[in-house]
Amino acid sequence: MKMAKRLLAYSLPYWRALTIAFGLILFTSLAINYLPVLIQRLTDQCLMNTASPAAERIDLLLKLSILYISIAAAGHGVRYLQGILTAWIGQRIIYDLRLEVFQKVLRMQQAYFDKTAVGTLMTRVTSDIERLQHFVTEGVVGTVADLFMLLGIMGYMIYISPVLSLAIFITLPFIFAYMILINVKLRNANRDIRDRQSKLNALLQEDLTGMTTIQLFNREAATMADFDERHTHLRSAYFEEVRWFSLYFPTVEGGQMLAILLILAVGGLFILKGSETITLGIFVAFLAYIRDFFRPLGSLSDKAGSFQVALASIERVFALLDSSEEVNDPPEPESPERIAGSIAFNNVWFAYNDDNWVIKDLSFAVEPGQVLAVVGATGAGKSTIINLIGRFYDVQQGSVSIDGTDVREFGKHDLRSRLGYVFQDPFIFTGSVADNISLQTPGIDRPDIVRAAKTVNAHRFIEAMPKGYDSVLNERGAGLSLGQKQLLVMARTLAQNPELLFVLDEATASVDTATEMLIQDALAKLMANRTSIVIAHRLSTIRHADRILVMRHGELVDQGTHDELMARDGYYRQLYELLLHSPE
Amino acid sequence: MKRYFIPHRAGIIATVLCVLVTVGVNLYLPYLMRLVIDGLTEQTLGKAELGRLLAIYLSAGVFSIYFSRQLRKIPLKLSHKIEYALRTDVFEHLTRLDQEFYRGERTGDLMTRMSSDINMIRDAIGQGLLQGIRTIGVLIFASMVMMLTEPKLAGLVFALYIPMVVIFFLLLKVMRRHQKELQEHVSEVSNFSQESFSGIRTIKGFALERRRNGQFKKLNRDLVKKNMRLQASRQSLWPFMAFWFSLGMILILNIGGRKIIEGKLTLGTLTQFIQYLLYMQWPLLALSWTMSLVQRGKVSWTRVKEILDKEPSIKENGTVEPVARVSDASICFQDLKLQIDGRTFLKDIDLKIPSGTTLGITGPTGSGKTLLVSLVARLMDPTEGAVLIGNEDIRDMPLVQLRCMIGFAAQEPVLFSRTLEHNIGFGVEKPDKNLIGWAAEIAHLRNDVENFPDQFQTVLGERGVTLSGGQRQRTAISRAIARRPDILILDDVLSAVDTQTEAAIMSKLQPVMAERTTLFVSHRVSTLRYADRIVVIEDGHITQQGTHEELIRRPGYYAELNTMQQLEEKLEAGS
Repeated sequence: MKMAKRLLAYSLPYWRALTIAFGLILFTSLAINYLPVLIQRLTDQCLMNTASPAAERIDLLLKLSILYISIAAAGHGVRYLQGILTAWIGQRIIYDLRLEVFQKVLRMQQAYFDKTAVGTLMTRVTSDIERLQHFVTEGVVGTVADLFMLLGIMGYMIYISPVLSLAIFITLPFIFAYMILINVKLRNANRDIRDRQSKLNALLQEDLTGMTTIQLFNREAATMADFDERHTHLRSAYFEEVRWFSLYFPTVEGGQMLAILLILAVGGLFILKGSETITLGIFVAFLAYIRDFFRPLGSLSDKAGSFQVALASIERVFALLDSSEEVNDPPEPESPERIAGSIAFNNVWFAYNDDNWVIKDLSFAVEPGQVLAVVGATGAGKSTIINLIGRFYDVQQGSVSIDGTDVREFGKHDLRSRLGYVFQDPFIFTGSVADNISLQTPGIDRPDIVRAAKTVNAHRFIEAMPKGYDSVLNERGAGLSLGQKQLLVMARTLAQNPELLFVLDEATASVDTATEMLIQDALAKLMANRTSIVIAHRLSTIRHADRILVMRHGELVDQGTHDELMARDGYYRQLYELLLHSPE
Repeated sequence: MKRYFIPHRAGIIATVLCVLVTVGVNLYLPYLMRLVIDGLTEQTLGKAELGRLLAIYLSAGVFSIYFSRQLRKIPLKLSHKIEYALRTDVFEHLTRLDQEFYRGERTGDLMTRMSSDINMIRDAIGQGLLQGIRTIGVLIFASMVMMLTEPKLAGLVFALYIPMVVIFFLLLKVMRRHQKELQEHVSEVSNFSQESFSGIRTIKGFALERRRNGQFKKLNRDLVKKNMRLQASRQSLWPFMAFWFSLGMILILNIGGRKIIEGKLTLGTLTQFIQYLLYMQWPLLALSWTMSLVQRGKVSWTRVKEILDKEPSIKENGTVEPVARVSDASICFQDLKLQIDGRTFLKDIDLKIPSGTTLGITGPTGSGKTLLVSLVARLMDPTEGAVLIGNEDIRDMPLVQLRCMIGFAAQEPVLFSRTLEHNIGFGVEKPDKNLIGWAAEIAHLRNDVENFPDQFQTVLGERGVTLSGGQRQRTAISRAIARRPDILILDDVLSAVDTQTEAAIMSKLQPVMAERTTLFVSHRVSTLRYADRIVVIEDGHITQQGTHEELIRRPGYYAELNTMQQLEEKLEAGS
């Protein structure tokens, strides 16, 4: 209930439009349901009124017909407008909500993305939101419209003949209850179908991935049997659905027949008795009402209970909106004009979860303009250093500072806009090559883009593409080799002209030697005159660094220049020789 | 497709019968109504006569409702039976298709064909039968009855309904076009979101959140716009139909009304007509919907048929009679060449592996090691040359017999979301506890199993225990040896276990390997040294072969590998 209330809060900005929509619904109901009243008048006053002259009756018939069609046009026209208006309101509400959810996700801290699958996030912005939209338009507004329709019909029915109305209304609760029963059963059957279909799909997916294994172990027959078990199970759920579905329309049909029977019986008896309360016109009008009566009734019975599904989606979306963002900005963040570029770690301790320390009591400093290489085996905590400076995570103990200011004093956004990254997995956005380099940052024009590309040796292959810098890249840069993607990403970083640079430089197996040379050259140019931290795997980068940190299990074991460290003949030397011999 | 319908002939005939009954009754009831109304108008109707007419009405109604239910139940149930038969056939076919097929197909795409496409076919069949037969029945009989009752009014109804159906059809078409545009935009929005979420590090790294939000806002706004464009046609559908219907109603009342006033028509007949008008409306509108459903069903059918038409490339040659149990499990590669899609992956492979010996295979990533061992199990056939087992070309053996001889464990094994016991005993007809225990023991899995919640009954996978890479590989080894095969193939199965476990496994595996012909692929010198002979495959052909002792002395890939791994060991020992 609280959820529904909160959702209604989103419709508050549109209360004017909503009021108008409800007004239009009311008008539609009154206009459209007035039409059978006209039929009654037409029958009694023109067709059956043998007392007055034929010419007069034909004249009246024409007049009433014109009135009929005008009211019908107005009623259905207004209904169309109301449909559009309601859809628009629903769209606006969802627009606001979708935007809010998207912005919220982008604000979440990195740790959240480590835990949450992209698929789950996608479900929130797509299908969950769609269900919400359905809830607002079909659910809330739809229910109101159905109720108005039903009340309108019932009102007119009572107005023209209380007796006949009463006869029909008595049967109503039973038919409505039966329709609700069918709809509940149908929904249960549908849930079973979904469950069993997804179980079958899970098995199928596994079998298809493991088909070679199945064949190698001669398991075809057994696999078929397992498949058949779930498949039969699914089929029986479908049969259950058919069982109830096949009852729905006959029930409506039966309800209509019963109502017609009642009209004929009760009306017939009254007329036979010579009563004036029921005329043939009323008879004909009621036949028309009966037809219209069951549509809103059916749609209402369908909605009773379908809110449950929508509420689950609403709950998930709100849970996302309510989750905390952890890394928060200070109230008055520091924002120096320009960062000189000294970085210091002071007794830093950090763990991604619990007491699993990835960084243990780490202290080091980098002078402005220096290139610092960090080396160590996998899992030594190298890349965590970069994560901490950019505040992807905050330290648990100690501090990280830039130019003597704790990074937590900076605003995240401002801080990161001064940093540049080259990740090992180059990420390409859908869009043109030029946009991928400039990232559409104001002030980076085509000449800047080309200059950056030329510097990092990317210009040549970009020029070779069919549309050069305007070539559109899609889906993570399909069509580019890994080496080309890396060069492109470097051009991007260079164009952004970051004040501090971080490079995750994993050696990549699938890059050929020629491209490898280009990448190394580009890296050197990127780092020139810039404070840089390189998580290094390439020997050339390591050798040319101003200083090297040697890490092991989250601790600093040694530091110095390449020559100094080699002279010591310790852990570094072993690491270095291993790199020298690795085949890739 | 035909053969799926033939078993259901009776159902189709029953559907036709149901249509005849329901349509008949639904045309008859308004006639009863007319008798009542006219009787009342002309005051010729007595109480008893009214009662009699109403009793007929009631019994005809009940009768028709029963058939109306069967009309839905029979074809829909039938469609689910066909769906079931079709999906079973496709799956059965899929278990016979080999690697050549699976290499070219994405699992996601196959899944779509197995679920949504077959569902689409089923809907087309079910609704096609139901709505198709019904519409035809309604059209034929309603027009006949209407022509017989009052030809002029009947003409008017046709004149009204033909343009209505045409306009409805056009509206649907416009709607579908907008729907498609919207769908395209929706996938653009989800691609954008997907990209934003998976590229979150880059976005945060370059502080692009605001720009990304701005772009999303624009996409979102367009989404509203496209949606509204669709709504403009969708919302018009029902009011348009209802208005058109009101128009028909008033025209009939007007023209029929004049006739009544002139005394040429009774109110009862007019009412009867209006009821027919109402009755014909829905089947006609459902027709265009059904037509598009059938259209889409046809497209799905061609996609499903593509699978059914694929023939496995690994074929049984000649007789399926099993050859006499091959006593000699020696393997021989004869002048072998393998090409896939025109690219050569293996060439000039000539190898003899005597029964009961172990061959180690090594070489850089992508050099063709896995392909070589796959050929032994006939996961594919060589382009040229042959693989012999016990001097018998494996293409002349029944597949089942060949694979029964082989225990195969792969580097990235596929395990199934069932119990551990099921997975280990996967290739054995009736596995007993001792066998499972033994196989787990050899693969050094015992300690792990004891720590699992339900030991051997522990369910693996998402809903159970997630195994580490090493545990998965060891389970695959257990699975392979549990078959007690003549030939054991281990394709880099120890890459994810640490050196100590590796040594423990190798010492237990040794006696098992000694009884069989073993091929094992590895990157580790420490494992390869157990082999009787080692071959190095580089770029699809054999570059070195010999024993461990011979190879470490010869300059080349193997010696390099050896040096590097010694360095690595030193590094690990130091830590």
